[in-house]
Amino acid sequence: MTISDFLPAAPEISLLCSICAVLLIDLFISDEKRVVTFWLALVALLLNIWVVVVSAPPDPTTIFDGSYIYDPLSQVLKVAATAVVALGFFYARDYLRQVGMLKGEFFVLGLFGLLGIMIMISAGSLLTMYLGLETLSLALYALVAFDRESPQAAESAMKYFVLGAIASGALLYGISWIYGVTGSLKFAEISQSIAVRPELNDVPLWFGMAFLVVGIAFKFGAVPFHMWLPDVYQGARSPVTLYIASAPKLAALALILRVLVDGLEGLHGVWQGMVMVIAVLSLVIGNVVAIAQSNIKRMLGYSAIAHVGFILLAVFAGSEAGYAASLFYTLTYVIMAAGAFGMVLLLSRQGFEAEAIADFKGLNARSPWFALMMLFFMFGMAGVPPWVGFFAKLNVINVVLDAGFPGLAILMVLASVVGAYYYLRVVWYMYFERAEDKSVFQAGRDTRALLSLNGLAVLALGIAPGWLLALCLAVIG
Amino acid sequence: MFQAILFYTFAAVLIGAAMGVIFSRNPVHAVMFLVLAFFQSSLLWLLAEAEFLAIVLILVYVGAVMVLFLFVVMMIDINVERVQGGLVRYAPLGLVIAGLMVVELVQLIWARSRFEVATGGFAATPEGYSNTEALGAILYTEHVYAFEIAAVILLLAIVAAISLTMRKREGLKVQNITSQVAARAKDRVRVVKMEAEKRQ
Amino acid sequence: MIGLYHYLTISAILFALAVAGIFINRRNLIVLLMCIELVLLAVNFNFVAFSRYLGDETGQAFVFFILTVAAAEAAIGLAILVVLFRNRRSINVQELDSMKG
Repeated sequence: MTISDFLPAAPEISLLCSICAVLLIDLFISDEKRVVTFWLALVALLLNIWVVVVSAPPDPTTIFDGSYIYDPLSQVLKVAATAVVALGFFYARDYLRQVGMLKGEFFVLGLFGLLGIMIMISAGSLLTMYLGLETLSLALYALVAFDRESPQAAESAMKYFVLGAIASGALLYGISWIYGVTGSLKFAEISQSIAVRPELNDVPLWFGMAFLVVGIAFKFGAVPFHMWLPDVYQGARSPVTLYIASAPKLAALALILRVLVDGLEGLHGVWQGMVMVIAVLSLVIGNVVAIAQSNIKRMLGYSAIAHVGFILLAVFAGSEAGYAASLFYTLTYVIMAAGAFGMVLLLSRQGFEAEAIADFKGLNARSPWFALMMLFFMFGMAGVPPWVGFFAKLNVINVVLDAGFPGLAILMVLASVVGAYYYLRVVWYMYFERAEDKSVFQAGRDTRALLSLNGLAVLALGIAPGWLLALCLAVIG
Repeated sequence: MFQAILFYTFAAVLIGAAMGVIFSRNPVHAVMFLVLAFFQSSLLWLLAEAEFLAIVLILVYVGAVMVLFLFVVMMIDINVERVQGGLVRYAPLGLVIAGLMVVELVQLIWARSRFEVATGGFAATPEGYSNTEALGAILYTEHVYAFEIAAVILLLAIVAAISLTMRKREGLKVQNITSQVAARAKDRVRVVKMEAEKRQ
Repeated sequence: MIGLYHYLTISAILFALAVAGIFINRRNLIVLLMCIELVLLAVNFNFVAFSRYLGDETGQAFVFFILTVAAAEAAIGLAILVVLFRNRRSINVQELDSMKG
């Protein structure tokens, strides 16, 4: 074994080195110049994208005895996750500076979380998947409690931690049964032994798988394992909420694609039913409860649950087109979620959190351009054509129809119509209500430009979704 | 036969200790019961010839994690009476749930699973087999990637725990090691030349 | 002979007790964290038993990693608990209700 054998893992290795560098340099930076840490973290992220692109081997490979997978899917997910984290750091910078919370730990923990996401994306065995998941989760628990003075943040961090630890326990219990029955932890070997020995497809393996699905559903925040999600979205400081709402969804998608699709494909008929129940519940409860919310972070939390329902239904369909649709949906959703929370951050400032939906009243009078951007994000999430959310939803509905479930497709359309109500309410507030808050935005010019680009991307991807769809299909196949 | 007697003894104490954990009114007692549970588990693992993990469980879990728990329990002054109100109310229902789960799991293990249990016991390990050696051999080859990630997780835990709990309090008297080390004799002692006084 | 099934049964009983403990001790965060440790202990029993049964050390390696992660998790969990206690002077779960909806 030579050093070049490790080359496919170069992104993880170099990101870890960057994290250590940022951690050490941050020690020597005074509080007034803390923004340097932000720029260092940004450099680390850009470097990471470059390494992911450059170090990619020509063909899918596995290294470390099958515990690390490189394939095109992993490359796309890693670039997307890194870019979204960079976006989140950018939106967070001005906010953190204004509220006097610009600390190096935020960026270091964020980078650690990204490392966990990348480990999950490339995991080839249940062991590396579990370790990646824990890296991500531990970073997130700490980030939620990041504001030490806020009782609300500590409370939601505690809820998140306890429920997350219980879910990890369930996941591990499932993993132990799958290991016992199939005799392996690697996805390739698990699926092979199920294929070779059909008698394994029996109650003990299903039992392990059920625990695994519970763990996955929790990490996605799907009903009935969603209790943590609205509280964490609301309780955490807005930059942390942005972080949790965006990149970890990509990791959750990798988790479900690797474990259920790559590893337990042989049990497709068994997990399909479970995934369907979870997805339908998420779709209905997420959309209905979101209507009653007055806090925009909480509303976006319930809307995230509803979107997870769509993603899971695409996986449920079980074809290659279905997995591509779930990838397309997740990628576009993450862009929109980052933008929507970016707007919440833009409106917030020292001593004022734009957390109520009513804080968006009269935004058009204050800033027509950013009202337009928020309209883009809301229309995108609601699935109004030609914004990109429409195509994402249409894809999933098509796939489910092809799989022969017209009832589910109708349910999805109905849920989208109900969901449109609470997104449009925000738009109504922005354009047809009088403003209560007349202050000007304090965000930097670069942040505003990036947020505008983010909004325009939602529209542009909706007008020309073809290439991204083709890319999703290509990396899945 | 002797092994079976040992197994059932340790198992009985383990389950008793686990019940102690969930029914203790005092968190300190709960921690102690958990320590007992870990000791019994360690003994059971020794019986199963997983020696390395048995030792590590004592060293890491009892030695570090449980002590951490004790620290926090004693640092945080919990009002036991108020917290424990739910114990009596939920206990019967909790036991019913536990009983049902045990029945289902036992049925799953003994009736539905298809492990080939020809002799009943674990296969004997080969002559000269060392559990620690075997674990070390795969830990640093097959699982080296996982091993590195575990190191990352520990680093992350350090960063997170420190950033959450460390605070600088005003008026705290702390040592400044650098200035202590840098101190020279001439900073502390002043040699004064004085004329000797005349004898009376 | 004591074998796989006996160990799996012990693990099942521990797991059930831990779940019952989570249910019973919903109000006491510290005991809740201890119940989570019990869940992990049950998982470790499964892994050790399966590993010995299969004659494959990978299961024992997994236990090694679970122990590592559990130590890290306990450190962060207790840190959050301390932050919570400093903010509210209480770790009673029933008082954790500032967010509803």
